[in-house]
Amino acid sequence: MPQTTIYVSPRSLGAPDSRPPAVETFELARLFAGSAALAGVSLRIDGGRAVALLGPNGAGKTTLLRVLATIIRSSYGTARVDGLDVVRDADLVRGRVAYLSHATGLYDDLTARENLDFAATLLGTGDRRARVERALADVGLADRAGDRVRAFSAGMRRRLALGRILLGSASLVLLDEPYAALDVEGMELVDRLLAAWREVGVTVLVASHATERLTEHLDGSVVLDRGLVVETSGVGVASAAPTLASPSPRSAEATR
Amino acid sequence: MSGLRAEARVALAIARKDAVAELRGRHAAVSTLFFAGVVLLLFGFALGPDAARLAAAAPGLLWLAVVFAGILAVSRLHLLETEDDALEQLALYPVARRAIYAGKALGGFAVMLVLGLVVLAAVGILFAVDIGAAWPALVVTVVLGALGVAGVGTFYAGVTVRMRAREVMLPLLVLPVLAPLLLGAVKATAAALAGDPFGELGAWLQLLVAFDVIMLVAGAATYGFLLED
Repeated sequence: MPQTTIYVSPRSLGAPDSRPPAVETFELARLFAGSAALAGVSLRIDGGRAVALLGPNGAGKTTLLRVLATIIRSSYGTARVDGLDVVRDADLVRGRVAYLSHATGLYDDLTARENLDFAATLLGTGDRRARVERALADVGLADRAGDRVRAFSAGMRRRLALGRILLGSASLVLLDEPYAALDVEGMELVDRLLAAWREVGVTVLVASHATERLTEHLDGSVVLDRGLVVETSGVGVASAAPTLASPSPRSAEATR
Repeated sequence: MSGLRAEARVALAIARKDAVAELRGRHAAVSTLFFAGVVLLLFGFALGPDAARLAAAAPGLLWLAVVFAGILAVSRLHLLETEDDALEQLALYPVARRAIYAGKALGGFAVMLVLGLVVLAAVGILFAVDIGAAWPALVVTVVLGALGVAGVGTFYAGVTVRMRAREVMLPLLVLPVLAPLLLGAVKATAAALAGDPFGELGAWLQLLVAFDVIMLVAGAATYGFLLED
């Protein structure tokens, strides 16, 4: 795998002081069949920070990431990304968030290159072909670019999914167990990605059990248990509903 | 890139992706063509060897085979998105939901068009129907019918894709909605084959156009809700 600097797109986010929090949730709750996966989570994570989301299985880590990624809606409470409401402004939020889930969302009958090219087209990536080749090289799959994904191992699929994130210009990267299924080289790739995102000021939220490995790359942590925040470090706790504090840009435009 | 151009680009990318996956994986084409052939043969056996009877029933048999096989084809195309939760990833892209619908419907339309034309030729051969003189009107009917089945099928495939009993639910939901299309397509085909003696072909084609427009607009406007959990 090449050890050159990984290319991650910096985002123009404005002066740090003027930015809204990268992530802000207030009393966020999500019920599944009457059971609370999230039971009132209030957080504030400033832009450019890398934060670990820790906790036992079933603590609500994945649910929180999926709400922030606009995949599922919360049952109660609010969540904002860069000041945008994840429900009302979901279209705009999607342009700012990249999400690595347990599933890779790849197409088995397409090659690695075709999968990334498809993603780059939908992401509106400029200089698409060059960026796709660069991403393939960055995740160590340049020599397998023409192979169908069906023949890939779980670790290779994971790397390719990470390469897809490199095609966009997200200001918030959500990673759910990024080290899962990866070999040592793959884990080092995740480490280098975390460092690269941190360097350009991208906010990263990582749900993982690999706490020791993550420590050197992160600025703070949130520990969840049974859908509640039980401990935080380097992360703020939102004390008021963000919807009351600042209307979304879209809402503001509509009232002009 | 302007909004509509960007959406067209997204739709084409999705349709192209489906076409490539289909050509390599043969998810829809082989099974649906085989299924359509079996449907035609079984109907033929059920009606008996009377050539005149078979020719009279040919428009109905053609469209029943196309609709039954078409539902299967559109469903198979949507199943591509269940591989490794690709549908969830598709929903994560910052693109208009109607562009995703348009792309999936376009892919379905391409498959339906091939299916419709092959089944039309098969009906001509199996039931000794002369389609030579009527082919322009028949092709227009197949295009409009394929578009309608793809539009409705894509929407309802989105409704059922996460259901466990989707193979059962999809036809149950789609077939009643496709009733006007089935009626219009059968009548238009019959009129075209008969040389349009009563001048009704245009009216049935207009019905198909209206059906397609309404269903495609409704599908594009509401498909986004299906992508939400």
